[in-house]
Amino acid sequence: MRRSLPGATVVVVGLLLLLDYVIINPVLATLADLVLELVVLLAAAAALAGGVALVLRHWTELVERRGNPPGSLALLAGFAVILLAGFYPGSSGSTDPAVRWIVAALLAPLIAALFALLFVFLLGAARRGLTIRTREGALMLAAAAMVVVLLLPLGGSAGDWLASAADWTLSVPIGGAFRGLLIGVAIVTAVHAARVLLAVNGAEE
Amino acid sequence: MPNLGELIGSLVALIGSQVAASSLRLGPLPAVTIFSVGLVLLSLVARPATRWTTRDLGRLAGIPRAMALAAESGAAAGFSLGTAGVARATSAFDRMQTLAALPILGFVARAAASAGVPLQVTANDPVTVHLAEAVLAEAHRSTQTPERAERSGAQYLGEGRPAVAGMTLADPSRPEATFVAGGLAEESLLLFEGTLPGASWTSVGTAAASQAASVLLTAEGALIGPELYQASSDLRAAGHDRTGVLASNRLILAVIAVLVIGSALALAAGVDLAGPLAGR
Repeated sequence: MRRSLPGATVVVVGLLLLLDYVIINPVLATLADLVLELVVLLAAAAALAGGVALVLRHWTELVERRGNPPGSLALLAGFAVILLAGFYPGSSGSTDPAVRWIVAALLAPLIAALFALLFVFLLGAARRGLTIRTREGALMLAAAAMVVVLLLPLGGSAGDWLASAADWTLSVPIGGAFRGLLIGVAIVTAVHAARVLLAVNGAEE
Repeated sequence: MPNLGELIGSLVALIGSQVAASSLRLGPLPAVTIFSVGLVLLSLVARPATRWTTRDLGRLAGIPRAMALAAESGAAAGFSLGTAGVARATSAFDRMQTLAALPILGFVARAAASAGVPLQVTANDPVTVHLAEAVLAEAHRSTQTPERAERSGAQYLGEGRPAVAGMTLADPSRPEATFVAGGLAEESLLLFEGTLPGASWTSVGTAAASQAASVLLTAEGALIGPELYQASSDLRAAGHDRTGVLASNRLILAVIAVLVIGSALALAAGVDLAGPLAGR
């Protein structure tokens, strides 16, 4: 009974939401809305607790001079600035111009700069891939090089041929492999969801 | 009025007559094939472990040895649960990967607990952090090492995929054994770059098909696509239900704290905390 109670709860809630999705019924809709609101409140409470834990952890590290004090200071300062912008008297919250400015002028460029590192790290990953997994790494890099060559911006008949070859490569071999991977992932995701719902545990070691 | 024997007799006769009146529309071989497909699907759901294992998926079989090496060198181990979480606004496919990663975390946590290696788990979703803490507690309970539990922990890195990538890149600590398992997207390479270099043991798993190349290029042990779920099924887990209960206990405390704080704010300053929290 102790083990089956969480599983039963998951099954009942899952069935309730599924029925609400399929059948139009005011009672079902009310119950489903109630459950969803509870979930939202729970996630929001967890997010608040996570934020508090994050601040406490970095505050402690800053005070005790452990870990990375400059990093902790930057995190706490950022936290304070965004809270100040969203909660000052008269602020309109997340739509306040100050918050929008912080997001557009600071956060978005920071994120863009972070993702701009991808190109550099990709080269590093290619080198590491050749070191740790020679055969697969070489095969993957050879395929990548081939795709780069096919996508070269060339004119004339050679360019047309390369463009059509690139289209065929992307839609047939690469597309086929990608779709196969997606279908496999979709099947095992469904199987895993069923296992979670039915509380089927993993094998004994 | 027919008695029970007559009733059973008529039922058997009915079934017999129906079987006698039937024939295979497609022939024996296609019929057996169709039934086999159904049986295989049922078997996949009902049987937790995969039937055929041709290789060591994600180098998971060597994790106890990796932990022993980490213990010898006095180093720690790190485990990132990806960037999808379970309560974040992302697709169900991504969130399911986080759940699939929990048995792998449990396996790594048990090996770390047995070897006395501190294990630091990171995630960008507070609910996932609670689940991870429950998995760590269960690992120390099952290995009877509660005195080592304080050295391991789960950390919330902040909301969003870029936040996790940035925090990981900025983290100067380099664990001896590093694992990443769960939902990943375009930030995967940044996350790997922040966690994997310097580690003598690396294992990465994600079912995100678009990130297969990053996984193959950066980690020694790779779980790509369906392999994440396959490996997860082959490991003994504490059970999602037990993990869920343990994590719920922690979440209940968080909810009580929010209720108390919200009530205090409402009484003292007339602030309605429930409205913004529920998105009203």
